[in-house]
Amino acid sequence: MHERSARDWIWVGLLGCLQLLPIFAIFLNSVAVDWAGTILPDGYTLAHVQNILKDPRFLQSIQNSLIVGFGSLLVTPFIVVPAILVAHCYFPTLDKYLAALVILPYAVPGIVLALGLLRIYSGNYGIVLNGSPWILIFGYMPLAAPLYYVPIKNNLRALRVTELFEAGRLLGASDALILWRVVLPCVRQGLIIGLVMNFTLAISDFVYANLLVGGHFPTLQIFMGVLNGGSGRKLSVLITTYFVVIFVATAIVVWVTSRRSEA
Amino acid sequence: MIDISAKTRILAWLAAMPFLLVVLMFEIAPLLAVAANSIQTETSFSLSNYSEILTSKFYLGSFKVSFLISIATALIGLGIGLPAAVLLKRMPGRVQQFVVICSNIGANFTGFPLAFSFVIMLGVSGSFTLLLQRIGLLEDFNIYSTSGLVIAYSYFQIQFAILLVLPSLAAITAEIEEAAHLVGASRFAFWWRIGLPILAPSLLGSFLLLFANAMGTYATAWALVGGSANVVTIRIGELTAGDVFSDPYLADALAMLLVVSLILPIVVEQMFLRTKDRDR
Repeated sequence: MHERSARDWIWVGLLGCLQLLPIFAIFLNSVAVDWAGTILPDGYTLAHVQNILKDPRFLQSIQNSLIVGFGSLLVTPFIVVPAILVAHCYFPTLDKYLAALVILPYAVPGIVLALGLLRIYSGNYGIVLNGSPWILIFGYMPLAAPLYYVPIKNNLRALRVTELFEAGRLLGASDALILWRVVLPCVRQGLIIGLVMNFTLAISDFVYANLLVGGHFPTLQIFMGVLNGGSGRKLSVLITTYFVVIFVATAIVVWVTSRRSEA
Repeated sequence: MIDISAKTRILAWLAAMPFLLVVLMFEIAPLLAVAANSIQTETSFSLSNYSEILTSKFYLGSFKVSFLISIATALIGLGIGLPAAVLLKRMPGRVQQFVVICSNIGANFTGFPLAFSFVIMLGVSGSFTLLLQRIGLLEDFNIYSTSGLVIAYSYFQIQFAILLVLPSLAAITAEIEEAAHLVGASRFAFWWRIGLPILAPSLLGSFLLLFANAMGTYATAWALVGGSANVVTIRIGELTAGDVFSDPYLADALAMLLVVSLILPIVVEQMFLRTKDRDR
């Protein structure tokens, strides 16, 4: 019943192709000489790439997106992951509330939360965060929480935490040490998925970036909005760059996190 | 769960505190602010925002369009995502992990990148439009329309569905499949009589999240159709950032109605699941 047939592989391949199709279309458009009224481009060129490199807004937007993306990665896991771990190990009641809290961003659309953030952090209550990347880094945190919670929780469920603690304490280890050296490495896989998804979220978001920061700190997505409606060649190069950034960052996160575990 | 000393308990709470604070400040507080604003106008407290929306053909129409798009794309998402997840489940772990990461990128593939790629493929002079026209399968297709939105949304809905369904497939163990195989159940019979009933509660949950995901989509609708798309999120954005129609209080009321329309089914589902668990 469980043999993998060639047919399965063909289906999986087909699925992968469908997933990649839109990305491929954009890439093709970014290197096309002329592509109107034909199924495939007439010829290929790197002129659009050179063209956009001359635009200072291009590098600026990439830089800004990287600041938000890596800024989010530098803050979010340190705030979210400890809460997930202690709730799972010590506070089952808190864990139940966390499970509800992490569903909330799915039920409450980004645009609704963005409206609220717009009202609160524009200075009406003495705090001004809007217009700076900080509102994005902190605003994405509740949205990123489920991306850590779900996969890490999956890892934790497979773990006999109580016994790990009993054994660790018997050997004289402090709880903090057990969490750091035993439990955390066991949830590494979930953590990697969380980090990758967190980064993707941070540089893919348009709603928060547009409503809360906009032109003050134009990210890749904001610049895409600016270029939308033009010839589309520049936009294609920009979107291709966005994919390269996601791909490279994913590779780096997976590489770094899997290396640290070997050390 | 694990017994701890008073000191460890305090330290553990301190470790959880920053996250709870962030949730309060950046998730709960904004939601409360929207709720509070929705019952105000420029001059006073009133429910007039709500009565304006509930008597407006325009705003009710935007809810209707959003509902239709969301139900359609949630069904499409599950219809393709479920078989895809079943297929992936049979693949080696590494392939699964790879596809999960790809699907996550795909589920985040919204807004301008998504809209523009579909314009390239299915726009007026898009590759596939031309291809389908040439082989005579298509006469005319307008991507800048509601059906265009359904097609574009389906792309991320399918991938989100894969992400949601894949973990729940653990409930269908090899033993169950083998047992069904031994008594001679066909593949169809297995899924119809055993597989789907087992998965039904989690599929319902996935459907509701997919529905909510589509209802809340703003960037893709904005990027593809712009202000002329009559979906709820576009109306909210227009009332917030628009130059002509700006009315933040009305925007907040519209946002609250959107939230209620998403949370209500999820709450009902949870209650339903809880009574069902008790009955067992």
